[in-house]
Order: sequence, then structure tokens, then C-alpha cells
Amino acid sequence: MGTIHLFRKPQRSFFGKLLREFRLVAADRRSWKILLFGVINLICTGFLLMWCSSTNSIALTAYTYLTIFDLFRDGVSPFWLGWSQTPDLKWSTHLGLPKCWDNRRELPCLSNRFERLEVLAVFASTVLAQLGALFILKESAERFLEQPEIHTGRLLVGTFVALCFNLFTMLSIRNKPFAYVSEAASTSWLQEHVADLSRSLCGIIPGLSSIFLPRMNPFVLIDLAGAFALCITYMLIEINNYFAVDTASAIAIALMTFGTMYPMSVYSGKVLLQTTPPHVIGQLDKLIREVSTLDGVLEVRNEHFWTLGFGSLAGSVHVRIRRDANEQMVLAHVTNRLYTLVSTLTVQIFKDDWIRPALLSGPVAANVLNFSDHHVIPMPLLKGTDDLNPVTSTPAKPSSPPPEFSFNTPGKNVNPVILLNTQTRPYGFGLNHGHTPYSSMLNQGLGVPGIGATQGLRTGFTNIPSRYGTNNRIGQPRP
Amino acid sequence: MEEKYGGDVLAGPGGGGGLGPVDVPSARLTKYIVLLCFTKFLKAVGLFESYDLLKAVHIVQFIFILKLGTAFFMVLFQKPFSSGKTITKHQWIKIFKHAVAGCIISLLWFFGLTLCGPLRTLLLFEHSDIVVISLLSVLFTSSGGGPAKTRGAAFFIIAVICLLLFDNDDLMAKMAEHPEGHHDSALTHMLYTAIAFLGVADHKGGVLLLVLALCCKVGFHTASRKLSVDVGGAKRLQALSHLVSVLLLCPWVIVLSVTTESKVESWFSLIMPFATVIFFVMILDFYVDSICSVKMEVSKCARYGSFPIFISALLFGNFWTHPITDQLRAMNKAAHQESTEHVLSGGVVVSAIFFILSANILSSPSKRGQKGTLIGYSPEGTPLYNFMGDAFQHSSQSIPRFIKESLKQILEESDSRQIFYFLCLNLLFTFVELFYGVLTNSLGLISDGFHMLFDCSALVMGLFAALMSRWKATRIFSYGYGRIEILSGFINGLFLIVIAFFVFMESVARLIDPPELDTHMLTPVSVGGLIVNLIGICAFSHAHSHAHGASQGSCHSSDHSHSHHMHGHSDHGHGHSHGSAGGGMNANMRGVFLHVLADTLGSIGVIVSTVLIEQFGWFIADPLCSLFIAILIFLSVVPLIKDACQVLLLRLPPEYEKELHIALEKKIEGLISYRDPHFWRHSASIVAGTIHIQVTSDVLEQRIVQQVTGILKDAGVNNLTIQVEKEAYFQHMSGLSTGFHDVLAMTKQMESMKYCKDGTYIM
Repeated sequence: MGTIHLFRKPQRSFFGKLLREFRLVAADRRSWKILLFGVINLICTGFLLMWCSSTNSIALTAYTYLTIFDLFRDGVSPFWLGWSQTPDLKWSTHLGLPKCWDNRRELPCLSNRFERLEVLAVFASTVLAQLGALFILKESAERFLEQPEIHTGRLLVGTFVALCFNLFTMLSIRNKPFAYVSEAASTSWLQEHVADLSRSLCGIIPGLSSIFLPRMNPFVLIDLAGAFALCITYMLIEINNYFAVDTASAIAIALMTFGTMYPMSVYSGKVLLQTTPPHVIGQLDKLIREVSTLDGVLEVRNEHFWTLGFGSLAGSVHVRIRRDANEQMVLAHVTNRLYTLVSTLTVQIFKDDWIRPALLSGPVAANVLNFSDHHVIPMPLLKGTDDLNPVTSTPAKPSSPPPEFSFNTPGKNVNPVILLNTQTRPYGFGLNHGHTPYSSMLNQGLGVPGIGATQGLRTGFTNIPSRYGTNNRIGQPRP
Repeated sequence: MEEKYGGDVLAGPGGGGGLGPVDVPSARLTKYIVLLCFTKFLKAVGLFESYDLLKAVHIVQFIFILKLGTAFFMVLFQKPFSSGKTITKHQWIKIFKHAVAGCIISLLWFFGLTLCGPLRTLLLFEHSDIVVISLLSVLFTSSGGGPAKTRGAAFFIIAVICLLLFDNDDLMAKMAEHPEGHHDSALTHMLYTAIAFLGVADHKGGVLLLVLALCCKVGFHTASRKLSVDVGGAKRLQALSHLVSVLLLCPWVIVLSVTTESKVESWFSLIMPFATVIFFVMILDFYVDSICSVKMEVSKCARYGSFPIFISALLFGNFWTHPITDQLRAMNKAAHQESTEHVLSGGVVVSAIFFILSANILSSPSKRGQKGTLIGYSPEGTPLYNFMGDAFQHSSQSIPRFIKESLKQILEESDSRQIFYFLCLNLLFTFVELFYGVLTNSLGLISDGFHMLFDCSALVMGLFAALMSRWKATRIFSYGYGRIEILSGFINGLFLIVIAFFVFMESVARLIDPPELDTHMLTPVSVGGLIVNLIGICAFSHAHSHAHGASQGSCHSSDHSHSHHMHGHSDHGHGHSHGSAGGGMNANMRGVFLHVLADTLGSIGVIVSTVLIEQFGWFIADPLCSLFIAILIFLSVVPLIKDACQVLLLRLPPEYEKELHIALEKKIEGLISYRDPHFWRHSASIVAGTIHIQVTSDVLEQRIVQQVTGILKDAGVNNLTIQVEKEAYFQHMSGLSTGFHDVLAMTKQMESMKYCKDGTYIM
């Protein structure tokens, strides 16, 4: 935690932080509604728990846990709203390094990585709901041995309060992460059965198809089914004092909770486990096959793709290329191919035997020499020039982009450094030290000679100054 | 439901017969359906009749007479000896076996009838083979045939459970008080003893017996199908089999009638009832069934057959003893005083409804081949499915071999081995506790056993995680399964939080209303639990002794007393030492260890508090210390959850933070700047990282990759991907038209490169 303290304001008290968080959350208009519902939910849950202990019904308790789950579920969204506005918390949820690691960089594409937190929140709340269901199962196993008496007085009232509240909350608060998960995860068995039933129902009455045939919201389903089970319990206890029904319907509600939550926790758990989502594997395979047919690419390996949050894909891949291939060119094409699917991508290009320069010198130098413009290197290297449109590869460069991309306006620093080192070090030195730990190389300045040496051996050595010369020439119109 | 849908489609004028299988027009089937319904109705009458008969006649005699009558008629109709090919000796042996099995099944059937009455027997036993087979395939194979079949199976099970639990059959409760009353023979006595051994009431035993008999019947029918083809038709087989069983039962009946005196006054008055039973239950039903199964589909036959029989069973169940059915009853005994026996109850009605539904669903033809397995993608990108049966893919492994192999896997590594041994110990203790609890009928012991089972689920999860973490990497789990341990640690942490929450809730409830506790059985149980858990602690702390200086003494102050629920306790010192050390990276083992520790301290608390309550009688101390314990559990779990969260959120590992920071600040020749530095801990052994670096145009990429890899490896990152970008890359990218935003972002990047270059390039 050492570095974090460097960038953080001094620690304040826990309550101070809490208060500040609260103020940040409260600053948003949208979160007011959610907070209001949270308070109502707490009150409701309190009443329901009281009624649970007064009726002694475990089925109602199981249903109340669903309400508590609602609290978690709705809690996810205000936290998200709040945390996305809290600068201090950004470091903790940022993928990888703290945001304030290097304050020179402000990249818009990486500013928010709170999807990951959403995934964790969804996972935690679904797992908690399942653990609660497990607890209910254990309790009802104990109750089968000794069935206590159930008082039906508040049973129905509690059921309807909980049902109305759950449905009302669900319909009035738009909960993005949970909506996404419930859409994306595989269907629960409850949904499957309802879909099956409603399909046969729509066979009888075709007019209902618009209501019943779309995928049902799993939370609405479980709320309705739980309320139904409680109503049956109430009825049977009232009619015939079958107290065992209470335990049975508690088990039913617990099983339904399992069934509803399990696909969602599997889905979000797989995101947390950094797995490749199965539904994109086909597309990824296709892209990787395309990449491996690019000119110069020998193999693609160590490919890792995973979802960062719900939906955004990240990945890293190693590409081995021919020794005479142009790395930047291949890198650009690989990135371009994969970029359509993978938004956060890192591609490492590597060559075998790269130190041996004999083969390297030929084609590259020739290419470079043939063209005066500086963005020429790619063309002849690519076998499939048809799929790579030459017009797009160099689109109207002279007009506006080149000045922006020109690398080295000064030019004065470059040549002296290289030339200086080139003359001082022999070629073989760089080869021997290629694998030594870097720190020593840095201190002795050994990293440089390797570059100098290879350049020195190139036949087209002279083109390097000339390249910079062209750059300068193009760069000059720039204001 | 569904057959109506199908019927609509078929009957639709525009359908043109193109949809669905070609079906016989229903008008031609009507007479068979009516015949079937009527036969089933008569069968219900026959069974009610035979229940009345069985009150008077001994069961073996009854079956003998039934078989005799059936054999007589069938031999008369079929003429098995004069027609058809001759039967070999080998076939006679098979027929003999068939007859024995048939006798046993009818014995079970009619014994079940005496136990739980005709109505329940009809509901349970009169299912056609296709229903039971699809039920069993749903229950025991993975490819059940969609949610509809699953629902049907669930309905069937619910119906049986309804009969078992919610059906208070008054007469049988009476009979259960003196079951020795009317045992006539050794056989029935044996069956009664078996049922009494199971510890259920008689009619419930009858229900179980009938379910068993139903399964036997289906197996019997399936097995005898080949024999019936060999012999030359099912009818001939039936005739011969009945004949053989008559011969089989003959000596037994003679012995019976010699040794025991009969309760029957005049056999002559029983001829008529026997005739109806033989005719309705055996002969008519058999012939009509065979005709209908020829003329109609089996599934349709089953569906039309089950509905009338259940309905008529319900009707007769209500009206059988009523005077209006007197003319139906061939055996006109004065049975009115027994009108309460096996009456209709709510449970029976509900279960009848469920049985009708499940028979309807399960007998509907399954749509095969709906669930294909994905085998890949076509070149066009459309998914390809394989609709072959699963039988081709799944080569079933023999169970002992599977157990052996998984045991070998478990014992390979120390983590899973320890968890496994401890799990075995825990389960052993649990079952001893449960068994002893059942023996002594002590509720506290049993529920403590359940609690231990509840805890074992955490151990089982830990074991699975430890096993899975060693699996090889796949396409989907591209880094390997090591992360599962962290997820399992996280779930275990949540588990402990839930436990803490419930302990908290209960202790609040008890604080308001402190109950009187019976500390009688508590001490030995908690001492046993303590010993088991201490062994576990020794084993697990050996595994990672570096991290805990767990001071177990700190909990002794907590006088923790309660009946059974409040397990779970842990102390701060342990948790915080972990959090700060950060060395015990195996979150899975940490979670399991915390769990065991919580249990240990829980049992220590129970012992201490029992002593306190017995000595001083402080009942209020129990909820107070439970409260204390709940808070302690919560606090001890927080570090585990926090660590696991950080890993799951792909945060930079805190222990590498400083080194990475230093490493990234290092200057390398030719390196201009870097962007998107991401480093995270993937699992206990893998720290992964990706970084994009920008270099000047004149450096060799491979060299700089090697240098950067070296630096970052030294800093602890062992799975690295470095993207080396030169100026040319950005030009290519903008050329390749990667969208406006990216170009914009890269332009900014270029500017920053320029900026950096001025500042840092010159060494």
C-alpha cells in the first residue's frame, strides 16, 4: 500500500469518509430515488423480519431474504454512481495500476473501469442470496424433525407487502448491471418451465403471445412464484393445519432462488475468472485465423482474451513473425483485425534469432531506399495487398496528418547519439549481452551499441538520415 | 395442453397435412378410446371389489384363484398348446421365471392394496410403462427431453410425496397400533415386519411398496418383451405364464388351507365377485390394452387410459360405501360401518390431480433431437450442431474406477489431501452424531449434525477448488484454473459473513427474549467437535504456518453458550496478520482455515459457556457473547474478502506495487514512453501484465522487448505481453482507418510522445 499513500490525501476518519461518500452520492439526482427506495426497503425488511418471527414461518423468512437481496441489488447502482465520481476510489478499481500512477497521461479510453466492480457486486449479491437459500434449506431440514406451529395472522399481509414492494422497486429502478446479467446469462430452470408452459398456452390462445413469449424477467418470476407458494401455504394451513406445507414451500422458494441466481453467478463468476466468453470464441477463432494468414506471421500463441466488465473484451496475444518481416506493419495489421472485437488489446511481436542481422538487411533496406516518402515500408511486404487497400494505407497523408505524426522535429539529437555509440562498440558485444539483466546494461550504456551495431552493418545505413530529412521537409509546413 | 396445440395444427384447414406426423383420423379411433375408457372404469370397479374380497380371503389364496381363473379363460381363448410352434425346454425355463416374477409382482400389488386401499393403489400402480420409463429417464439420465418432462417428473414426485405426507389415512393409523392383529401367514408377517422396520406407518409403507412394485412391473414388462416374441405373441405367453403360476402357487395354497382355518363362510357366495374381478381386472383389461396399443400410438393409449381410471378411482373412493353403489358391489357385505376406511382426503385429491397431470405430460411424445451439441462453426460463421444421441459421446465410466481416479487426484497434492482428510473426519463425526441423535431421539444432536453438514459444504467447495485449480488451461480458461482458488476463498468469506449475520440476528432475538437452555447434552458434543476441529487446525496451520500467529487465547473470554446454532468464531489477530503479511496467497486454504477456526472457537465457547451456565446460571450471557462472536467473525473475514476482491478486480498486487513503480520509472535507451500499463495477479502463481511502450524509430523492437521483459520480470511479473509501438505503427493504424476516436486518442499519444521525447530521450 506504500505508493498509495503518496498520492492520497491524509487518512481521515472512517465516518468522515463515509459522509463524503454519501455527499457525493447524494449530489446526483438519480441516486436520490435509489436511496429513497433503499430506506423504504430497510423499513420493509424490518417489518417483514418482525412478522417472520411472529408467524414463525420459515417460508416467509425465505421470501424476506429475497427482499434483502433486492436491497443488495438496488444497492449496486447507487454505489456505482457514487464511486464513479469519487476520485480517491479510482485507484482501487482501476484495472492494473492506480490512475494517479502517472499523471502525465489522461487517456479517455481507460478512464473508467467500474464495470469490473459491477461484476463483483453482482456476483457477491447472487452468491449471498444462494447462501441464504442454503441456510433456509438447513433450517427446514431441522424443521422436518420437529414442526413448530405456524400462526397465519400476518402471513398473507407480509407476503403481499413483500410482493408489492419487490415488483414496485423492480419496475421503477432501472438497474443496468442486473438487467444485463439477466439478459446475458443462461436461462434458469424457472424461466425454462415458464417459457415452456406459456408456449403451449399461446398455442391455445395466440393473442397472448406478445405477453408470454418474450423472455421473462427472472426476478419478477421468482417474486411471483414465491408469493404463489406462500398463498398456497396460507390456504392449506387455514383449511387443514398442514404445518408441514410451510417447510415444503420454504424449500421450494429456496430451490427457486438457487435456480434463479445460479446462472447469473456462473456468468459473473466466469467474468471474474478471466475466461473467454464462449459466445465470442467462434468470432475470435475466425479473426485469429485471419491474423495467422497475414504475410510474415508464422504463428499466434499465448492468446488470452477475457471480459473486463459486462461486454468489453480485453486481450493479449503473442505473434511470432518471420525474421524479415516488418514488425510495426504486422503489429498494425494484427491490431486492426482484432480491434473490431477486442477493445483493450496488447500484441507482442517476436522473432526468432533476431540478433543475427544477415537476413534482416536485405529487403528492408531495399524497400526503404526505393521510396522517398516515410510511410512506405508496408506495401511490398504484404502478400495480400488486395485486402489491404493502398488508398486506405496512405490516405491523403500529405494534407493534414503527417505534420501531426512527424516524430522528430528537432532531428538534432538523433544522429549524434547513434553515431557516437556506433563507432565505439563492436558488433559482437551486443550479441553477448543480449540476455544480461537490463539494469547493468542501463548503467553501462550497453543497450545502445546493439542498435548502433546493427544499423552499422546495414547496407542501407545512409537512409536513416535521409528519412529524417524527409520528415523534416514534410513537417515544415506545420505552423 | 400440448396435444391440443398439436391437434389444432393438424385440424387446421390450411395446414394441408404438412405439419406434424401423419395421424389416423380421430373419428376412426373414437370407438377404441371409448372402449379403453370403459375398460379402465371397469378395472377400477374390479379393484375396489378385490379390496373387499381381500378382507375375507387370504392374499395367497386370492392370487391363486385369480391366476386360476385367468389361466382357465386364456387357455380357452388362446389354445396355446394346440396352435403355434412348439415350445422348447429352454423357453419353458424362461416362462417359469416369468411366472415367478409375475407372482411376486402381483403379490406386492395386492399386499399394497390391503395396506393402503383401492383408491391409492389405483393412483400409484396404474401407470403405463411409457410414463414410468420417461420418468426414470428424466431422473437418472441427463437427456430427459426438455423442461416439460422435468415438470412431469416433478409432478409425479410431488404426488407421491403428497400421498406420503399430507394424507392422513385414519384407518391405517388405527391398524398400525395393533399390526399383529390379522396376520395370517408368515409371508404377510414378514412384509409387515419389513415395513415396521422402515419406521413408517402402514399406509405409507404401502405407498412405498406400490412404487417399488410399479418399477418392478415396468422392468418385468420390458424384460418379457423378447420372450413374448420368442414364444409367439404376448397372449400366448400370458396364458402359459398364468398356467405355470397356478401350478406354482398350488402347493402353497394347499398347505395354507390345511394349516389355517378359513375366515370364509361359504365359498359359493364368493364365486360371483371373483368372476367379476377376474374378468375386469385381468382378462378384459389385458385384451383391450393389447387391441388399443395395436390400433393407436402407445403414448395416446397411455394418456387416454390413465385419465378415466384416476377419475373413476376418485369417484369410487367417495361413493363406494355409499348405498347408491350397492348394486355395483357384487359382494354385498354389510360394510357400512367401515365407511371411514381409506376415505378421500385433501392430500389424495391433490395427488390425484398431480398424477393426472404428470401422466399427461410424461406420456406425450418427446421431441427428440432438440438439444444438439455444438461442435464448431462453419466457414460462414454459422454454428454447427450435432443432433446425435448422447450415447455416442459419453462412454460411461465405471463408478469404482471413477472413484479411484478422483481419489488419486485428490491425494496427489498436499492442499487437497488435507482438506479431504479433514472432510472425511468431519463427515464421520457428523454421521456418528446424527446416528446417535436418532438413536437417543435427541433433537439437539440431530440439528447440530445438520449444522456440521452445512459447514461441510464449505469444505467440499474448497476441495473442488483445490482440485480444479490444477486442471490444464483450456481455450476458455486461457491462464489455467488457478483463479478458482481465489473465487472459492471469496465465496467462503461470504459464507462466513452469512453465518455471522445469522448468529447476529439470532442473538439479537435472544437478547430480547433470553430462553432457558438445556445444557444437558452440550458438553460431550462440543468436546467431540473441538477435538475434530483442533486436528483440522493442526493440519491446516502446518500448511501455511508462516502467516498465523493466531492467538487462540483471545477468545477464551467469550463465554459462548447456546444450544446448537452458534458456531463460528474467529479472532482478529489471525485475520490481520494475514492481511498485512499477504504471503498466504492461497485464498482457498485461507477460507477453509478460517472456517475451521470459527468452528473450533465455537465449540470452545460452548464448553466455557456451559460451565458458566451450570455454575452461575447466567442465561443472558449466551446472547451477549453470540453477539460478540458474530462481530468477531465478521471482522476476521474482512481481510480475506478484501484481498480476494482486489485480486478479482484485477488490481495491481500491493506487494509488487513499489517494485513495479520503480521498474516503470527506469530509463531505457530508445524508450520514449509507455501507456496502458496493466498488471494484475491472476492466481497464486501467475502475475500477469500488459504494457504498450513507445520507442524511437531506430531501435530494434526485439531488443527493447527483452530489456523491458527483464526489468518487469525482476519486478515480479511473470506473464508479460509487451506491445512495442513506433511512429510507423500510428501511421499505419491511422491509415488502416480504425475509427475516429482511436485516431484521436493516438494523436494525443503522439503528442505526448513528442513531449516525452524532448524531456527524456537524451540520456
